[in-house]
Amino acid sequence: MRSKIFSYNRSLVMQNVRNVGWIGIVHLLLLFAAIPLRMLMIYTNQKNGYSPVIRNVFELSNAFQGMIAFTVPVLLAIFVFRYLQTKRSVDYMHSLPLRRETLFWQQMLFGVLLLVIPVIVTMLVAALLCQLPIENMHISAGDLVWWTGEMLLMELFVFSASVLVGMLTGISVLQGVFAYILFLFPAGISVLILMNMRYMLSGFSADYYLSANLERIVPFVRFVELVDKPLAAFEMVRYALAVVVCCVLSIWLYKRRHSEAAGQAIAFPVLQPVFSFGVTFCFMLVGGLYFGETQRSIGWILFGYVAFSLVGFFIASAIIEKTWRIFHRWKEYAIFIVAIMVVGSFTRFDITGYEKRQPALSDIKRVYFGESVYQFERQAEENYISYVQSDQFLQTTQNIKNVYAFHRQLIEDRPTPFAFGENIRSVVIGYVLKNGEKMVRTYSIPIDEYKPFYEAIMESREYKHNYYLLLQDNVSPIRQITLRTETKTVQIADPKQIESFLAVLKTELKEEPFTEMISPIDEWGTIELLQSDGGQMQLSWKKSYARIDAWLKQHGLLSKARVTADDVAYAIVVKNDARTPLYDLVENPKFVKELETRTDVLRITDKRQLDECLQKASSYETKSRYIIAFYRTAHSEPEWHVMDEETLPSLIRKQLP
Amino acid sequence: MIDVRSVRKEFADIEAVKEVSLHVARGSIYGLLGSNGAGKTTLLKMLAGIYKQDRGDIFIGGEPVFENTNVKQKLLFLPDALYFFPQATIRQMAQFYRDLYPSWSEERFTRLQEAFPLALDKKIHRMSKGMQRQAAFWLAFSVKPEVMILDEPLDGLDAVMRQKVKNLLVQEVAERQMTVIISSHNLREVEDLCDHIGILHQGEIVLEKEMDELKTDVHKIQVAFRGGIPSSFLTGLDAVYKEQRGSVLLCIVRGQKEKVEAYIHQFEPVIFDVLPLTLEEIFVYEMGGVGYAIENILV
Repeated sequence: MRSKIFSYNRSLVMQNVRNVGWIGIVHLLLLFAAIPLRMLMIYTNQKNGYSPVIRNVFELSNAFQGMIAFTVPVLLAIFVFRYLQTKRSVDYMHSLPLRRETLFWQQMLFGVLLLVIPVIVTMLVAALLCQLPIENMHISAGDLVWWTGEMLLMELFVFSASVLVGMLTGISVLQGVFAYILFLFPAGISVLILMNMRYMLSGFSADYYLSANLERIVPFVRFVELVDKPLAAFEMVRYALAVVVCCVLSIWLYKRRHSEAAGQAIAFPVLQPVFSFGVTFCFMLVGGLYFGETQRSIGWILFGYVAFSLVGFFIASAIIEKTWRIFHRWKEYAIFIVAIMVVGSFTRFDITGYEKRQPALSDIKRVYFGESVYQFERQAEENYISYVQSDQFLQTTQNIKNVYAFHRQLIEDRPTPFAFGENIRSVVIGYVLKNGEKMVRTYSIPIDEYKPFYEAIMESREYKHNYYLLLQDNVSPIRQITLRTETKTVQIADPKQIESFLAVLKTELKEEPFTEMISPIDEWGTIELLQSDGGQMQLSWKKSYARIDAWLKQHGLLSKARVTADDVAYAIVVKNDARTPLYDLVENPKFVKELETRTDVLRITDKRQLDECLQKASSYETKSRYIIAFYRTAHSEPEWHVMDEETLPSLIRKQLP
Repeated sequence: MIDVRSVRKEFADIEAVKEVSLHVARGSIYGLLGSNGAGKTTLLKMLAGIYKQDRGDIFIGGEPVFENTNVKQKLLFLPDALYFFPQATIRQMAQFYRDLYPSWSEERFTRLQEAFPLALDKKIHRMSKGMQRQAAFWLAFSVKPEVMILDEPLDGLDAVMRQKVKNLLVQEVAERQMTVIISSHNLREVEDLCDHIGILHQGEIVLEKEMDELKTDVHKIQVAFRGGIPSSFLTGLDAVYKEQRGSVLLCIVRGQKEKVEAYIHQFEPVIFDVLPLTLEEIFVYEMGGVGYAIENILV
């Protein structure tokens, strides 16, 4: 006698083959197109001399395989459990003498087979094709097995997650939509919450949390990365675990799911408020983020919260009720608003004391001070050394105190998170405590108001030492120095000259005020230092380096190294009261042409004055009140600069008030 | 065979079935009557183990039906909205039932082909509504279930086929003691078929009677007296309806026929007739108290 289980299986399998079998065929065809066909294409293309380097199966068609892995299993999950989503079929299937568990595992098994068989067949065909002499293709048997494993794991993950979603909804279209939302949800909600926290809490460092490889938890992104980064053991365990959890949860939900859930957007009534409030909340965060980033004002953010949450609530309710007429649900929205106001004010009024928190001075091992948070966690990865390091750890008692005091001041001032502009700089303050705990805060602040704090820290010996790579002790000897400007280049190769130049340069760096460190007037060009180990260091040759100028003059190199007054025939200074950006003015041929004949301009020919102008001309700021054009010879194409009002030469101030 | 005890079922905020209890004995045909939206389909789907009741118990052959393969193998549900696998033919569906129901009879399936003139290899979806229903009955009878639950089963069948199906049902009940519960919004349709009747109204059983009992217990009488109706005449009668036409009093009374007759004779009526009563009339009078437009229930 045939076993009962077997005969049930046979009849259901036959139905599945008839109704869903095509997905297996499509899966196989797509995989064939992505792998064996691609191999054949590369093989025949060799004649044309084109043969890309292929190190593993993913490299053949990375994105295409990703598309397969993230569409076929979703489609399969929808079709295999399609019977659950229409009234007639679910009633029929559930009236049969089959338990839900039997049905579920039966369908799951069938779905898994439609994923596994095509992948394995593809692997075998690819193995055969690997025998072809294809240049630059290095796919080993191990690669193929590894690919099979990774591909299957990803597909099973997508399949089981989509099945789980199918248990939660009673509409096939929504099953597809929700499945993709589920894949994006963990990363998406993290970004939304973190970004919005910045508006609520002064000093909140969203970047710090966002830097933790958030894109890695988007499965599709991870899939595309498989080409370079195979799944690590812990990731495989994680995905496998996810598959098991999804299956267990699915059958658990299926047993509790009512047949009449077919056609309902949310299959379990208990989850309806979760869904509608969840959607409302996400929309609210999106609205806040959008207006926060574009308008940068709390008023607009609140508007964004209210407007978008309304839209979200409307959409969620419309999905649940399957009609647009949902205005009677305003009470639920009111509940949401009240709840969110309570939570919002908890955050805003900082009941946890987040904003004011500062470790005890005596507990601090070292402090982190800089512009961005990225170096805070990445101290171990020292493969890239920059010549100028503004983000760094400080550990002298004095600097710990300085940073601490700065932070204290910021806590008191509570600077607005919306500040932006030319004089706004972001400051990141981090603490590493003696017990290993860490804490980090980020603020955007106007530099000018905090000058003394900056000076104390950035001009300290320790900071400077870390800031300029050149000042560090382990720098290998310098063999050659190149001063490079747009038009001139000078090289210093004599060891004695190098030594004396470096001494002057180091003094410049040590004595440099912090304003020059973060916003120099302008630079002449770059100073390239060629090291004995073949390394190269580059520093900017700032106009403020007067000692360098003196040294060059003394060695008769100044005029060879950079533009001097001798190179300039004359200069014309013009007032720009409208503060039109320089790049717009220069684009205007009429303005350029008329400049030389205008009477309301100042023409400078005196060498000493030209020299002063060259020293003070800047090209960083663009909307200055004074614009200067240097002419090498009469009527030649001038070089455009602006003059800062504060450092304006007295001549110009007098003549063009 | 079928035992329903205080069953309730709610959908979202609508209470489709409230506190229904009923009992159907083995080998009997139970007619479940009610207007649209009375809760018939919901109740039947619970009996078939498709819906799970919120409260109460449902036993078929002494066992709970929900998720119980043993019970469901002996039970066949024919919904009002039929379902067949997409693109399936009768032969394929037959194979499916053969695998699923141990009681499937190949012999019966072959024999029934005479009753249902349908092509075995034609896709069921291409068939007309009536033919689809024939196909469903063909498959259902071939399963030889112990319990058949039929939801508005005769819709879409022509008069000849209707009679054929009814005959088959009665035959099955007589031969194998099959138990049938059949729903309809049309009393006349099942009048000749059922031995028990239950009326479901707004989710509640408002009336449950044995067919024979119904017909013997209620009487339509016509009486007239020489000096008008004695004032105490009606007090001794359980009249559910009365109407005076001139000197003649027409009323419908409940009670044993002999007792009623004896009682009336005491008053020495000039005219006294016991008139025949249709089933429909019985319901109209029985249900007068429910305050419902009865015509709608019984068509």
